[in-house]
Amino acid sequence: MRELPSRREEAWRWADLRLAERLRAVPAPANDALPDLDSLALVRPAARAVLAGGHAIESAGRPTHPAPDRSIAPHPLADIAAAEALAGLVVDVGEGEDGGLLECVHLGTSGAAHSVLRVELAAGARLTLVETIADAEADHWSNIRLDARLGEGAELVRILRIETVHGLASTRAHVALARAARLAEVSMIASPAAVRAETHVRLEGEGAEAVVNGVLLASGSAALDVVTRLQHEVPHTVSRQLWRLVAAGMGQASIAGGVAVARHAQKTDAAQSLRGLLLNRTAAVNLKPELEIFADDVACAHGCAVGEIDPLQRFYLESRGLPRPEARALLMQAFAAEALHALADPELSQPLADRLAGHLGALA
Amino acid sequence: MLAITDLHASVGGTPILKGLTLSVGAGEVHAIMGPNGAGKSTLAHVLAGREGYEVTGGTAVFLGQDLLAMAPHERAAAGLFLGFQYPVEIPGVSNLLFLRTALNAQRKLRGEPEVSGAEFLKRVRAEAQALGLDMEMLKRPVNMGFSGGEKKRNEAFQMGILQPRFALLDETDSGLDIDALKVVADSINRFRGPDRGVLLITHYQRLLDHVRPDRVHILAAGRIVESGGPELALRLEAQGYGAIAA
Repeated sequence: MRELPSRREEAWRWADLRLAERLRAVPAPANDALPDLDSLALVRPAARAVLAGGHAIESAGRPTHPAPDRSIAPHPLADIAAAEALAGLVVDVGEGEDGGLLECVHLGTSGAAHSVLRVELAAGARLTLVETIADAEADHWSNIRLDARLGEGAELVRILRIETVHGLASTRAHVALARAARLAEVSMIASPAAVRAETHVRLEGEGAEAVVNGVLLASGSAALDVVTRLQHEVPHTVSRQLWRLVAAGMGQASIAGGVAVARHAQKTDAAQSLRGLLLNRTAAVNLKPELEIFADDVACAHGCAVGEIDPLQRFYLESRGLPRPEARALLMQAFAAEALHALADPELSQPLADRLAGHLGALA
Repeated sequence: MLAITDLHASVGGTPILKGLTLSVGAGEVHAIMGPNGAGKSTLAHVLAGREGYEVTGGTAVFLGQDLLAMAPHERAAAGLFLGFQYPVEIPGVSNLLFLRTALNAQRKLRGEPEVSGAEFLKRVRAEAQALGLDMEMLKRPVNMGFSGGEKKRNEAFQMGILQPRFALLDETDSGLDIDALKVVADSINRFRGPDRGVLLITHYQRLLDHVRPDRVHILAAGRIVESGGPELALRLEAQGYGAIAA
C-alpha cells in the first residue's frame, strides 16, 4: 500500500489527512441512499456524470475505469486514486469541436472513494467542465484525480466547487497546455471540513495562457489547503492567479501558490495575488507564495496580505441603513468576488456568485 | 426633532464632549462651528453610532426615540443621515447596488415595501442630474477613484436618494471648489423642508453664504459656548475663534 504523506513534509504541513488514514481500508458501499442530485447541479441543463462513493450512478462522456496519464510525475494521493479507482470518466473532444458543458458530481457517501477523470482536448477544441464535490451525512474520503491535456489552441474552462460538510475531499488536477492553449479555472471551496485541492499546470507551448483563481471559505473547524503550481516551460507564456481566503470560527484556510519559470522560458508573464480575510481571531489564514524563477527576462508580480473587515467601511455601510451582518456580507463578497471574474460567461459566473453569496451570508 | 442634553462622550478613554446641549426643531437648519479639536466630528460620529465613540452621559432624543440606544442602521432607518467628512472608499461594492440595498434595508425596517428597480433608477437619474454626476461613475465601486469634490457630491447624492428626515453634515464643504460648493449647497436647500432638520458642521462661514442657517452654535472644548442667529457666523469669521475661547 502506498504511504500517505505526512505533515512533517513541507508540502503537506497544512493538510488534514486524518480521514484518509482512518478510511483508507474502508471502501465506500455501492448502495448508500443518495440525496437529491438535481439540487447539487450548478448549471442546468448540462450533460452530467455522477459518481457516488466512487461508483458511477449517472454518466455523460465515457464512463470507464480510465488509465491515468503515465507521463505525469508521481503524486502520493493522485497515485492512490489511479491505483484504487473503481470508476471514472474520459472526455475526448475532437479537433475544432465544442464539447459544451459537462458537470461531474462527486458525492462522498461513507468510506473511501477514488476516481480518475481524463480530459483530452484536440487542437482548437473547447470544453467547460464543472466538478462538484459534495457529501451525504457521513465521514468519507473522496479522492479525485484529473489528468487533462489541451492541444494547440484548445480551451478548457474548469470550475471546481467543493461544498462538503463531513469528509475529506482531495483533488489533484494536472493540466498540460500546448501552444496557444488556454485554461480558465475557478475554484470555490466552502467547507467546515477537510479539503486538499491541488492544481498543477504545465505551460508547454508558446502563447499558452492559464488563469487559476479561487475562493476559500473555511468555517467551523475546517482545514482547507490549496496548492497551485504554474510551471512555465517555454518562452512567451502567461499565468494569472488570484486567490481570496476567508476564515471564520476555528477554520483554517491555506494556500501555497506556486509559479515556476524554467531556465529558457524568457518573456514569461506571471502574476499572483493571494489575500486573506479573518472574520475572527480564532480563525487562521496561511499564505505562501512559492516562486522559482530560473530565467532573467520575465515579469512575475506577486502580492500577499491578510486582514480583517475594515470597521470604518462597515460603519459607513451601517450608517446608510445596512444591518451589521448585511454590511459584513457585502464587504466579504466584495473581497471574494474578484476571483470569479475569470469566468467570462455569466451563465457560469452568476450561479457560482449566488452560491458564494449564500455561503458568505451564513458566515456574516 | 433632535434634542441633545448634557452629552458626554469619550474616544479611546479621552473625554471629548463635555456636557453638550443642543436642540434642532423640525424645519430648522442649524450650524455648528468651532476650532479644530472642539469635538465637532466626534458629535457627528456619536450621533450616528460609530463604534469606539463611547457615550458616558447625557441623552439624545430623535423624533421621540432614544437615539443612543439604537444600532447605526436603526438610526438610519429612523431617518438620520450622516454626511461624512471623509467618505469611505469601498473596493468591489458598486455604488448603486449598495445604495439600493441600503434603501431597501431601511424600508424593510420601517415596514415599507421595497423600491422597484425602475423606481430606483428614476430617482437615481433625477438626483444624478441635479448634482451633475455621471451615471457611469455611480456604477463604480463606492467612492473609488472619486476626487474629493466627487466624494462630497456622492454624499449629497446618497442623501437625495435615501430621503432622510434629518441630515447631519460633517464638513460637507471641505475640499470643494466654488462651483461644487454651490451644487452641494443647492442640494441641502432642496432637502430643507417643514418636516426636516439639518445640522451643518463646518469650520468656515462660506457654506453659510449659500445655506442660510436658522441658528449658529459655537462648539469649543466639548460644549456649546455661544448660540445666536446667522450674524454669529459673520462675527466669528471677522474675529476668529480665539476671541470666543477667551
